[in-house]
Amino acid sequence: MAIHINGVFNNNLINSIKSCKVLVVGAGGIGCELLKNLVLTGFEDIEVIDLDTIDVSNLNRQFLFQKQHVGKSKSQVARESALRFNPKSNIVSYHDSIISPEYGVSFYKRFTLVMNALDNRTARNHVNRMCLAANIPLIESGSSGYLGQVTVIQKGLTECYECQPKPVQKTFPGCTIRNTPSEPIHCIVWSKHLFNQLFGETDDDEDVSPDAADPEQVGEAGKNALASESNDKGNVNRVSTRMWASSRNYDPKKIFHKLFHDDIQYLLSMDKLWQKRRPPIPLKWDDFIEDESCTSSKDDLIKDQRPWSLAHCREVFSKSIDDLKKKLNALKEGDHLVWDKDDDSSMDFVTACSNIRAYIFGIQQKTRFDVKSMAGNIIPAIATTNAIVAGLIVLQGIKILQEKMNECKTIYLNRKPNPRKRLLVPCVLDKPNPKCYVCSEKPEVAVQLNVEEMTVKTLEEKVLKGGLNMVAPDAVVDGTGTILISSEPGETDANNDKILKDFNIIDGTRLSCDDFLQNYNLLVTILHSKEVEGEFKIVGDHEKLKKEQEEAFNKKEQNGKAETAVPGGSKDGFASIVDDDDDLVCLDDSDVRIEEAKKRKSEPEPSEVSKTKKIKLDSEHEIISI
Amino acid sequence: MVLHGNNSTISEDEAALYDRQIRLWGLDAQKRLRASNVLVIGACGLGAEVIKNLVLAGVNSLKIVDHRSVTEADSYSNFFVPHDSEEKNVALASLERVQNLNPMVNVTAEALEISQICDNYLSQFSVVCVCGGSKEEISNLNNKCREFGILFFAGEVYGMHGYFFEDLIDHSYVEEVKAKVETGKSDEKESSEETKMVKRQESFIPFSTAIDIDWTSQKYGTRLKRTTPSLFILNVLHEFSFLHKRRPDPSRREEDEIELLTIKNSLLDKLSVPQGKLSNDFVKSIFGQVSPICAVVGGVLGQEIIKAVSGKDAPLNNFFFFSPDDGAGVVENFGY
Ligand SMILES: [Zn+2]
Repeated sequence: MAIHINGVFNNNLINSIKSCKVLVVGAGGIGCELLKNLVLTGFEDIEVIDLDTIDVSNLNRQFLFQKQHVGKSKSQVARESALRFNPKSNIVSYHDSIISPEYGVSFYKRFTLVMNALDNRTARNHVNRMCLAANIPLIESGSSGYLGQVTVIQKGLTECYECQPKPVQKTFPGCTIRNTPSEPIHCIVWSKHLFNQLFGETDDDEDVSPDAADPEQVGEAGKNALASESNDKGNVNRVSTRMWASSRNYDPKKIFHKLFHDDIQYLLSMDKLWQKRRPPIPLKWDDFIEDESCTSSKDDLIKDQRPWSLAHCREVFSKSIDDLKKKLNALKEGDHLVWDKDDDSSMDFVTACSNIRAYIFGIQQKTRFDVKSMAGNIIPAIATTNAIVAGLIVLQGIKILQEKMNECKTIYLNRKPNPRKRLLVPCVLDKPNPKCYVCSEKPEVAVQLNVEEMTVKTLEEKVLKGGLNMVAPDAVVDGTGTILISSEPGETDANNDKILKDFNIIDGTRLSCDDFLQNYNLLVTILHSKEVEGEFKIVGDHEKLKKEQEEAFNKKEQNGKAETAVPGGSKDGFASIVDDDDDLVCLDDSDVRIEEAKKRKSEPEPSEVSKTKKIKLDSEHEIISI
Repeated sequence: MVLHGNNSTISEDEAALYDRQIRLWGLDAQKRLRASNVLVIGACGLGAEVIKNLVLAGVNSLKIVDHRSVTEADSYSNFFVPHDSEEKNVALASLERVQNLNPMVNVTAEALEISQICDNYLSQFSVVCVCGGSKEEISNLNNKCREFGILFFAGEVYGMHGYFFEDLIDHSYVEEVKAKVETGKSDEKESSEETKMVKRQESFIPFSTAIDIDWTSQKYGTRLKRTTPSLFILNVLHEFSFLHKRRPDPSRREEDEIELLTIKNSLLDKLSVPQGKLSNDFVKSIFGQVSPICAVVGGVLGQEIIKAVSGKDAPLNNFFFFSPDDGAGVVENFGY
């Protein structure tokens, strides 16, 4: 309740709320709660956008939706349900992606406030840029399990969403996945890659066959034995997994034999790999018999939580391949399936494959329930956290409408009260990072990549769109004026497969990149490097990287030991955002902060240790770093 | 007690509906949640938030009790009340929309005053949560709940301010504790974290003991500086409702503001608490029930009830206060 009842708010605030035009981006967990709070508070001019449709697993928290709405548009049903709470409100809904070109700077300029209720970084990056370009205040939010966070972004006054580098998603070395898995997740990643090789969009980075170029096995027996079969990259040359399987009509028995017997035999021939490891055991289709024991005993568990026997895995493997083959054949020539955790055959396939592979390598097997969490990267969301976060969003919005921008805070919802007895912890908003490659006056960024290998297409898709989050970039080589990439369809298609070097792009070359939709110009400095893990690396601050590389080099000299620098890794703001139950971020809790700072200072850690620590923090708290 | 189905198994429909939360708090916690029977007294803005959170989470049954008729203010704070239901009982008017949230929960509503709730009636519940109510009503109900071993919660939202209290009597729970484990070979040491479940026990005190604080005592005298001023807002509002048998009314804002300040002055003097501890500005922001505050307080309160009935995670012992000025949510431990 608020503006409709005289005497709750003062007249100034009532008028500001009445005339406020607010954009809600996302009608999911936080979005549903947010719409309810907005209409009850008296916001009467709301627009909401969401691309998603309603799934049954949403219903335990997205309370504007009910069973009969499953499959319908989230934004449309949310609009109808929220209007019943306050028929005086006007809500416009869009069943669409916020990244679509229809929602340009002029769309954003119509609003007083933008409130993000998103669940992915790509869309958050994009809305961040659009709000900067339109100069509209943005309230950003996120939740994960019991943890939540709300913050405010205003151009020139606060940090933007991209001012601090975000932890990257953990990836595993190719050899671990292909040759020497040691954890369940390695088998699950392998199985998802296998899915794409057989039924999905194939990606050279997702090869599932043994990797003869494993550095642990340099020039040894295994490679020699099969050298004739492998190409220059070390991959065993077997046409493609897709063509191989297709030529055998996706016969589950033959695929099984290839993956779980022949390929494992091949791995065994790379004997160096198994000197310190338990060697894998090749498996034949008939190596084990039916058994019923697994399903009967654990009646009190839900179906997906019951463990599968090997025989059951084989049965599911066979059936899911048949199902997926049918689905693939039903598609147009050249089309492919997309792995989806909510598609039963896709989930069955990955569960069965990863458990069979886990068995072969002596790794703990996982239930379908657990495989789904890991393969689907499920971040469990609950109603209460979302309700709290959505409440805090509106409170920040009210502060902005009262022109009390200086009182806006980043607020963290913790799982437990901190030493200052706070469960909800307000922290002062940080100033913009002057070197931010998004919100600074003249955005600049450096990217490490190999100019002798990278194609223009890869630069566009993986670096500019994937890494730097542009939507439709134009790229011009600084100095020569060569148009490398054009956002006009077809204009630079001829460049796609050419190597950057062909355009005289060398170490230090600068590319002037421009995204019309985001109203965003970025000067990209290319740093040539032959050893970049994962094709390219974005270096927020060129100068800083240089310094860190020098420091790392000096350290290496001193210690006589190989260590790698982690650019941006030990940056304060980086650590602070992944923090959940202590206070080192909070300026107003100064004593605790100083204590923390002291503690960190007094523990000089070798960079290797701090690196592992960082990765752990990141993977665990990735979530709250909205 | 109303139970449905076989209590020890979760059906596949339930597994699909509660999938995400089972991933978070586990199947055992979900089973205990599903065995709980909750009474929510007070279908106000805060009550609606608590009801929503518990029905979505999947308790066995939830009963809504309130004696009031729907007012215009209700229809902008309790979002379960349809806009055409003025003069109907507010609990009964909420029923249909609450039930629509989750057909698997047995939801009922009744028009009753707190004073009409007898022992026999109470004994069918495992949790009682009262939203609103006077200090005496809260204390009496809390004491009755203690007799039956019923988990007790009380909360209220005043304008932009909110609080709740909890008394779990003698509460056992399990908590995840993370321990570092070093794995891998010596040259590529990887330390991973292992999660262990640890059993713990915690004792609570009743509201009447917790709320009566002697600020002249040495213990509380030194704690005063670090105590949230929100506690004294609660003291003032309890006194107001004791004297006037109602909450401060937005339509009588001018006179009520003056009365609240008068109460504040005499009350803080009586408690030997300096007047400066609570700024007079509080009277500007305590009228009505502002929805986002209901959402925040009702969210934390709802999660506390879920934690308590599922016997998982450390409870907040024993007060939570939310203040809008800095957005802080503070946990206080009073009366010990
Ligand atoms: Zn920035």
